[in-house]
Amino acid sequence: MEKQKTILIVEDEKNLRDAVVDILQLKKFLPIEAKNGKEGVELALSKHPDLILLDLIMPQMDGMTAFKKIRKDVWGANVPVIILTNLSANSEQLVEDMVTHKPMYYLVKSDWKLHDVVDKINEILKM
Amino acid sequence: MIKTETLNNIIFASLFCAAAGLISITPALAQTGVQVNANNAGLAMKVAPGELLPVSVKLLNFGQNKRVDVSIKYSIFTGAGQPIYESDETAAVETTASFVKAIPIPSGTAPGTYIAKISATYEGQLTPADSQFSFTVEPKIFGLFRNDFYVYGGITIVISVFMVLLGGILIKRRRQIRVSPFDYSGIGRDQRTFYEILSDTIMQMRARVGDEALDIAANIDGLKIDKETGRVLALTDHPAKIIATLVSEYEKVLGRKVSFSFRREKTGP
Repeated sequence: MEKQKTILIVEDEKNLRDAVVDILQLKKFLPIEAKNGKEGVELALSKHPDLILLDLIMPQMDGMTAFKKIRKDVWGANVPVIILTNLSANSEQLVEDMVTHKPMYYLVKSDWKLHDVVDKINEILKM
Repeated sequence: MIKTETLNNIIFASLFCAAAGLISITPALAQTGVQVNANNAGLAMKVAPGELLPVSVKLLNFGQNKRVDVSIKYSIFTGAGQPIYESDETAAVETTASFVKAIPIPSGTAPGTYIAKISATYEGQLTPADSQFSFTVEPKIFGLFRNDFYVYGGITIVISVFMVLLGGILIKRRRQIRVSPFDYSGIGRDQRTFYEILSDTIMQMRARVGDEALDIAANIDGLKIDKETGRVLALTDHPAKIIATLVSEYEKVLGRKVSFSFRREKTGP
């Protein structure tokens, strides 16, 4: 039997986090939840998930800071990350960070349905 | 044409029959008696059931000065000789008389070849004077004879299918051009990702809102694109700034936010 793929969801909005967890469980993934960037980094570096879904605007530690910390790790340097945010990439610094740290996708929440996000996850993990 | 010779006088009653102007009559050279030669000049004539068959009639009176009353009988026969139409009328001929007679073809007439026969009789006639020609009855569909309808319809269908296929191919090709990511492998690694993000963003927005996305991109300072395809040609300002400006413009003008996908690293230069 194929090993369940682990997905770390770093999202401060509980409703959205729960919805993502539900759909991932439905699709036979193993979701792990983090409610801010700090928790996200800890769980990422300890659990080594197969993919990270990362929000940007969060309390305690924002998503970009968490992303940079994860990328500094040997394992984290190559883990696939999907940015799922409401923040528009209209700042030079944000674009620069994206290009430097290379997430697989930068998805604006309002434009994507959860099923589409799951499709992206499947697409990445099958590569 | 009918030429008739009377006992004492030579009277030629020439009957020219022409349907739809396609019949020509070759005068027969008669020593005595009557010779008739009628043809349709080798051209097919077609008429639909319920329509009128026009017949051009010309009567010639040679050899005497007095008026001759000619009784003309119009008949239509099937190929098997069964009459399906008959009518007659009288015409007075001084020297010549020409007119066009419209013979109605009965509505229920079956498709096939028919014969129209025109006979002239007059006082003192010794031999029959008549002329005939064949014509075809064929129903019409949408104003075209059935066979023509099938031919033109077939041609129209073939052309339409061809045009639809051609249109489909062109649209598909255009769409493929629009959605196929441009290759920027010729750009240095430090700049390539910026080119790819910009290119994919323009393409994504073009697919969503149309060519307005190209116009907006073409007006971004430092960004030079092919205005037809959206391919990024050059970046003359800081690339991250150009991307941020483009995203802002799309959001401001089109009310759309922009998502990115980052292309996988390829091995090689």
